[in-house]
Amino acid sequence: MQHVAQTEIPRRSPETVMRLSRLGSLHQCRLSFMRILTRRMAREDWQFSRPVFDIDARGVGHAVYCAKGPEHTYSLVAFAHDLPPEMRSDRVIATAWDATFTLFDGTPTKADIERLSQNVPLQEAGRVDEQSLSVSRANRSVRLWEHFVDRLSRGEQPDISKVDAVGYLMRTTAVYGSGKLGSADFEKIAQRPEMSAPFQAEMLSVYLTRTFVRDLVNHMARLRGGESAVQMSSEIAESLGIGNSTGLGMAPYIINHPVLFNNWIMVREEAIARVRSVEHASQDAIERFHHLLARSSTSVDQWASEHPIQQAKCADLKQDLAALQTRLTETPRGGDYPWDQLVRWGENTLSLEGQELIASLILEPYPDLVDGLSSCLADTNSSAFLIDGSMPIAAVKSLIDSSFGWALKTDWTDQANCARAWYVSEEKLEPRLGERFDEPIEAYEQPLAPARDAALAYKALKIWDEAQPVRDFLDAHPEHRHTVRRAQISRIAPYGEIRDNTISDSVLPIDMLRAKLSFFGATQFDPRSDRWVRIKMYAGAPYPEDLSTKTADFWVYPEETA
Amino acid sequence: MSFSLNEVEATAKRAARGAEYSWGMAEEAAKAVRWLCANDMDGVHELAKLLERDAEDQAACPLRIGTQITDNAANLTQGSMDFPEVARPALVLPFLAFAARQVDLCLSLTSNGQTAKTDGHALSSPNEMTSPGQSLVIGVCDTVDSPREVASRATPIPEDWATLNRWAHLTYAPATEESRLLGAGAGLSDND
Repeated sequence: MQHVAQTEIPRRSPETVMRLSRLGSLHQCRLSFMRILTRRMAREDWQFSRPVFDIDARGVGHAVYCAKGPEHTYSLVAFAHDLPPEMRSDRVIATAWDATFTLFDGTPTKADIERLSQNVPLQEAGRVDEQSLSVSRANRSVRLWEHFVDRLSRGEQPDISKVDAVGYLMRTTAVYGSGKLGSADFEKIAQRPEMSAPFQAEMLSVYLTRTFVRDLVNHMARLRGGESAVQMSSEIAESLGIGNSTGLGMAPYIINHPVLFNNWIMVREEAIARVRSVEHASQDAIERFHHLLARSSTSVDQWASEHPIQQAKCADLKQDLAALQTRLTETPRGGDYPWDQLVRWGENTLSLEGQELIASLILEPYPDLVDGLSSCLADTNSSAFLIDGSMPIAAVKSLIDSSFGWALKTDWTDQANCARAWYVSEEKLEPRLGERFDEPIEAYEQPLAPARDAALAYKALKIWDEAQPVRDFLDAHPEHRHTVRRAQISRIAPYGEIRDNTISDSVLPIDMLRAKLSFFGATQFDPRSDRWVRIKMYAGAPYPEDLSTKTADFWVYPEETA
Repeated sequence: MSFSLNEVEATAKRAARGAEYSWGMAEEAAKAVRWLCANDMDGVHELAKLLERDAEDQAACPLRIGTQITDNAANLTQGSMDFPEVARPALVLPFLAFAARQVDLCLSLTSNGQTAKTDGHALSSPNEMTSPGQSLVIGVCDTVDSPREVASRATPIPEDWATLNRWAHLTYAPATEESRLLGAGAGLSDND
């Protein structure tokens, strides 16, 4: 029976949700892009094949993995390389990698592969065309790779403690899509049901990459050990994810795409509101929640980070989970509106990590209420950037005030409040964050401080007649045009603006990275600095041959350990 | 070489910013160039020529006139409106389209005996629009007859693409070793 989506409990407000500290505590949920993909592939019974696997004893060669959906086939074309250790870098400015990939739209011919082999290994220095949907690369975890090849080649399984300590054999260092490096624009695939949710091509590319990596390490062990080699066990294979190193480049994305980011947040908030509005929870729903909470606790126990900020957050989260256990023991049924009560209790009791974990977890028992919202995640509003020049200045000021009222009270002449500046480096054309007062970068500043810019525009608007249309102001002040645009976009995108200062001396770019990566479905965030984070993707997921409607959904939660 | 429209848009935005347009205007330039390319016109050429034009050129900036048109979209239904001579009048067409979308009408632009029409999405237009000494006339029209093909890629003239990249380059901060380490936040070994 279809649940009726009534929301007696309203969505949480943008003022609550859009703080960096909370965005930096988000967790994956049913609406995460990886889970949307695996559920669909299972539901539609996608067929997987490996028509080419041609890799020599040095680990050099290529392979092709095909994923065939109802109407389209997508192929990961993987190139394996023999990379000297001194060239192995996760930095986006690296020039060589252990493996490079493209997700090809269709099934590539030999001529396609030949052309791709001249370009994909070069990454940014190469060119692809619109038959490529993504371009990516990965490096080995040196410590784990050699251990795997060594053990497997001798007929032994890898040491579980070593496997758990790292969790992946390769980590991607960039996955480019949407027209980058000459690949297809998103518009090419946006109308295909399987590609209409955000980043599905990139998520599919990483899913197939994980299979390739498993096959490659087995292959290398066999080449080394011959008859005595064994394949890694399916348990170990399943526990492995693909690592990912994400640097600062991703942070501006959520500022530069206010409608898209709004949709992600608003869809999750709508899902949370729907579940909080459930008056009575069924026994099944309660059991599912308890079961996944236990598995989620296992995931938190496995979550290792070397960064003091994340270590403290993980410690808080463990306390939160203990408090939650106590509460659930005391009030197992939760009374009327049990999920709403739980969320309210969390708001008064738990850290942001714990609050957001609960917010994500209560969605799990309600696929009928939640999953359909995945069709609202994409940004299909190509006219959102159009400015309504006839809007009275009073209305523009009111919009600015509703998103940035707090920023109008900030002292922007205080150096601490504008200590940083976002800029693009000449060297690699990647976004960076610098010290405004110590480095010669202000002339190159990118428009990634919407709060400060809103305050500047508001100040300039003050002397204008409130009834005058904003076009007159814009003609006189083109420097505020981007701010007026954002203010008007906020009408359709109430969660499009971060309610925090993105250039203060205390801003943590990892909060922005985490917000985005949590929607991908990443887990085990491990910041390596305040602006660089490692994560795992697809750890626990079924490989193509094991993908079914039974395995496609809850893989992100590890089975409980005894 | 063919480029994705996202590449065109990103490069056009940086180029316009490099030429000291405000960020908001650079965004408009980028959307405009992309829209022209998507309608199989050489938007990259138009922007390159605009950015490289003679400093003595008295013709109005098509991005400024263009944004005035979209910002005044509601008033375009009142009959035809005249605008002064603009450099690269083709760059006004995307803004005419954006205005047409806002008022849900077909709009036409006539300059130097050439006419282009758009309903906000489709465009009928000669391949190039010229404007020596001519003002622009904008009005409401009925339909867009024989619209141009829709393009999913752009194949700009290499010189024009290089021109945009030269302007875009002005927005990039020169790298220092300090910024490499501090700015990107790395510095730890990746070789683990």
